Amino acid sequence: MFKNYIKTAFRSLYKNKGFTAINILGLALGLTTCLLIVLYVVDELSYDHYNVNHERIYRVNEDLKLGDNKVDYAVCMPPLAKTLKAEYPYVIEAARIKAAGTTHVKKGDLSIVENHIAFTDASIFSVFTLPMINGNPKTALSEPNTVVITETTAKKYFNTTDAIGKIIVFNDKENYKVTGVIKDVPKQSHFNFDFFVSLESFPDSRSNEWLRSDYNTYVLLKDKSYANQLNAAFPAFLQKFSGSQMQSELNMSYDQFEKNGSYFRLNLIALDDIHLKSNRSGELGPNGTTQYVYIFSAIALFILLIACVNFMNLSTARSANRAREVGVRKVLGSSRQHLIFQFLAESVMVTLFATIIAVLAAAVLLPVFNQIAGKDIVLTVQSFKWLAPSVFAIVIIVGTLAGSYPAFFLSGFQPIAVLKGKLSAGFKGSFLRSFLVVFQFSISILLIVGTLVIYNQLNFIQTKNLGYNRNQVLIVQNLGELGNQAGVFKQELSHLPGVSNSTMTGFLPTSNWKNTRIFFKDATLNQKQSLFPQTWEVDADWIPTLDMKMVQGRNFSKNISTDSSAIVINEAAAKFLGYKNAINQQLYQSLGGKTEISNTVIYHVIGVVKDFHFNSLREKIEPVILKMGQNNGALSIRLNASNLPALMAQIKAKWAGLSPNVQINYSFMDQDFDAAYRSEQRIGKIFVIFTTLAIVIACLGLFGLAAYAAEQRTKEIGIRKVLGADVSAIVAMLSKDFVKLVLLSIIIASPLAWYLMNKWLQDFAYRINIHWWVIAIAGAGALAIAIITISFQSFKAALANPVNSLKDQ
Amino acid sequence: MIKITNLEKFYRTEEVETIALNKLSMHVDTGEFVAIMGPSGCGKSTLLNILGMLDDPDEGSYVFNSIEVAHFNERKRADLRKHNIGFVFQSFNLIDELTVFENVELPLIYTGVTTAERVKRVEEVLDKMQIMHRRNHYPQQLSGGQQQRVAIARAVVNKPKLILADEPTGNLDSSNGNDVMELLTDLNEQGTTIIMVTHSEHDARYSHRIIRLLDGQTVMENIMV
Ligand SMILES: Nc1ncnc2c1ncn2[C@@H]1O[C@H](COP(=O)(O)OP(=O)(O)OP(=O)(O)O)[C@@H](O)[C@H]1O
Ligand SMILES: [Mg+2]
Repeated sequence: MFKNYIKTAFRSLYKNKGFTAINILGLALGLTTCLLIVLYVVDELSYDHYNVNHERIYRVNEDLKLGDNKVDYAVCMPPLAKTLKAEYPYVIEAARIKAAGTTHVKKGDLSIVENHIAFTDASIFSVFTLPMINGNPKTALSEPNTVVITETTAKKYFNTTDAIGKIIVFNDKENYKVTGVIKDVPKQSHFNFDFFVSLESFPDSRSNEWLRSDYNTYVLLKDKSYANQLNAAFPAFLQKFSGSQMQSELNMSYDQFEKNGSYFRLNLIALDDIHLKSNRSGELGPNGTTQYVYIFSAIALFILLIACVNFMNLSTARSANRAREVGVRKVLGSSRQHLIFQFLAESVMVTLFATIIAVLAAAVLLPVFNQIAGKDIVLTVQSFKWLAPSVFAIVIIVGTLAGSYPAFFLSGFQPIAVLKGKLSAGFKGSFLRSFLVVFQFSISILLIVGTLVIYNQLNFIQTKNLGYNRNQVLIVQNLGELGNQAGVFKQELSHLPGVSNSTMTGFLPTSNWKNTRIFFKDATLNQKQSLFPQTWEVDADWIPTLDMKMVQGRNFSKNISTDSSAIVINEAAAKFLGYKNAINQQLYQSLGGKTEISNTVIYHVIGVVKDFHFNSLREKIEPVILKMGQNNGALSIRLNASNLPALMAQIKAKWAGLSPNVQINYSFMDQDFDAAYRSEQRIGKIFVIFTTLAIVIACLGLFGLAAYAAEQRTKEIGIRKVLGADVSAIVAMLSKDFVKLVLLSIIIASPLAWYLMNKWLQDFAYRINIHWWVIAIAGAGALAIAIITISFQSFKAALANPVNSLKDQ
Repeated sequence: MIKITNLEKFYRTEEVETIALNKLSMHVDTGEFVAIMGPSGCGKSTLLNILGMLDDPDEGSYVFNSIEVAHFNERKRADLRKHNIGFVFQSFNLIDELTVFENVELPLIYTGVTTAERVKRVEEVLDKMQIMHRRNHYPQQLSGGQQQRVAIARAVVNKPKLILADEPTGNLDSSNGNDVMELLTDLNEQGTTIIMVTHSEHDARYSHRIIRLLDGQTVMENIMV
């Protein structure tokens, strides 16, 4: 019997090849997309799960409020880790990580730029699961000047993973002994380092200061239930350990400090939450956001729904055609059950084909998808363990659902009614089908609006006046290599034609150099009157090189000696400080120790620079204070060259003259800027792809329905044509019903899209407005696509010889 | 009004090629009432469909009102059709979803007649066909004779110059059949050209001229007296 179902199903599907193809194709397309998104989402959700103890590992965060300044840190005080471990027995292990900036590592004569270097406590390997191939994880980092490297790094520098005892030279002078080689840190980790340098090598690591924060601090708890206990213990703990330092340095007790409305607070964040939920100052790398996980999950679900809706729609539409078949079968004695199984077998079979195609397509497309999404997803045996059952579930659920309408509905008819053809009359009649078409198109319109808004916002970011000019700026990143020759290099470049200006500092709007310092508005160092700005050391050429505008006062000058204590602030700082006229205002900075006027540095404001963006445009512009200083972090050169290659050659030659051994390392400021928005651009791209797919799938369904409608009404079309209907009248007649449904979708989807996208935009401090025309374009687009799809079928029907349709009775 | 020369029509299926019309030539003058007869399968319906521009010939020429239409596409044919030709079929071909009134109104809609004028003309013709009292019924609710009268009403409502009828009495009893033939004769007397396919010698006698077909060729023409 079962074999008979399969055989009949197969023949029936084969007989309606076009219909079956549309059905399988649409469903396969939907499932492929869905699978890829699911892989993406699972990847995002499983960050840091490679740690055996991931459920018991927490990072300590610090929230700081000082006066009106609030900062959320991912980093804590230097002594916190060891103190927590000593104080609380349920803190089994604690480890700190401090990211090192760009470092040069020697390989033979070459100097290689490395960005993934961290100082870590020896306990790092007890907290995180970073399996060591060579060396002893317990002791590897307990000595100063030791380093543990990853497998890939070992191969890169020593051509072997057996690198124990070898020496690594940082920045041309610091020698570190390799004491361990670990497996590469998994991609799904919120940090990604190639070098783990012992913190013992770094004297600051033994600092006992409780009033500053610069170490990412992780604790391994005995059980995750202790997290609440530790969170509850933090206030008293902080008071106990930082109270005396507060008294001596800020001249006030901890209670007083809190009474002023300021606070230090510690709290735990679960390791598993860091990647998606943490976006604090001092993160070890860029994290993801739950927002996109939600959005993509929703899209996956939508696309799957659209595909299923198609499937159901086409199946039910066709079922009317099969009413006669059902009637005949019933007359011949088929039971209702038999018919139900027959229809279900057919629909499950289509789903099965579609799923097989989808799984294969997803596997083939995964590398492409990885590239677009910036991911490194691989299908492993592990992934098949959850994939296989879910895919199987999809086949059964979707197959049954889609087949259930024709199965139960048709099989329930009285044979005589079916044979008299009373059923095939009403194509328009199906409310369910209309509802499903509206549903599909509403989602499509939602996705189109989403895509347009995201694209507009990204475009807005890219073309927004940032307050500086990022074009034609060359940044020499490893200027530090030149040591005190850096100034000579800058001097020599200034003589080159094509170099219009240059500035020497690592602090740039596009770099991630950050430096927060506390300034006070008055000499009493009252923290209520404090400012927590970015404090950047720049030179007098900084503002002109970056093409920034002064709104008040003047820029620094090399020739005015008092400018060493001068500062230029941005508009945001002036506003925060409440200055109408900022010029000649004074700001105070503590030198540490007692809070006394003799212990402070006084700065006077000489100018206000127009606000410029340096964080992501998601965030508001923070206050910035610029002061004169020697900083050879980078050299930014404003070019004015018609022949860039020639100029580059000259610059490289000058560099080689000063540093023959080390290659110049440079980038362009506009590219650095673009890099900062790459993840957003990726999201935009993925969005466009998914939207297109969703629309294609929806249209595929509409195409099938239109074909079906035309087929159903062949005779009517024939008669109407005999009576004088021309092509346009027939096309209009066939399209009208669908167009009405699409219009209804527009009405439903527009406000929803507007609301949802406005919500998304709230995340950006600088954002576009959603104009009515965005919605109009989306609606018109969906309508146009639908009409084109339907017309294709309608024209075919309308242009046929009427005699063909009349014969067909 | 109509002149066809060496008209050919083939039907190709996978195995056989049927020649439905074989170098057929004939002409029909304005105001004539012509009957086409012949055994089943000789190509009568095929000829009528081509004359009505519902189908296109494979070879030969078809001049309608001095216009060569053999190679017209569907768009142009539709335009000629709606202004000049009315059809009556053996199986009526009424649209089930529309009422009697709406069925008859349809050709007027397609030729762009105003609503008021449409109502007037439909009522006029329904009156003439004596089915006014059935105007709001659906086709299934009518007898065969009534349905054919609706079909004729629909064919003439636009005042076509030519009416093509394919076995208009084929599904009717003799009394209903005679009524239909009377209607056609009336229309002819008012100036409408009529070409009718029939199997009935009785019906053929209403016409002026009988064209007899055999295997797609004219075998004989009888002029009625
Ligand atoms: N669509 C078609 N495909 C193949 N052959 C066809 C087709 N339509 C008609 N024929 C063939 O063309 C020939 C003429 O058919 P036609 O319908 O014109 O005959 P007829 O004279 O109207 O017959 P009847 O009196 O039975 O209605 C027949 O042999 C028929 O089998
Ligand atoms: Mg015939």
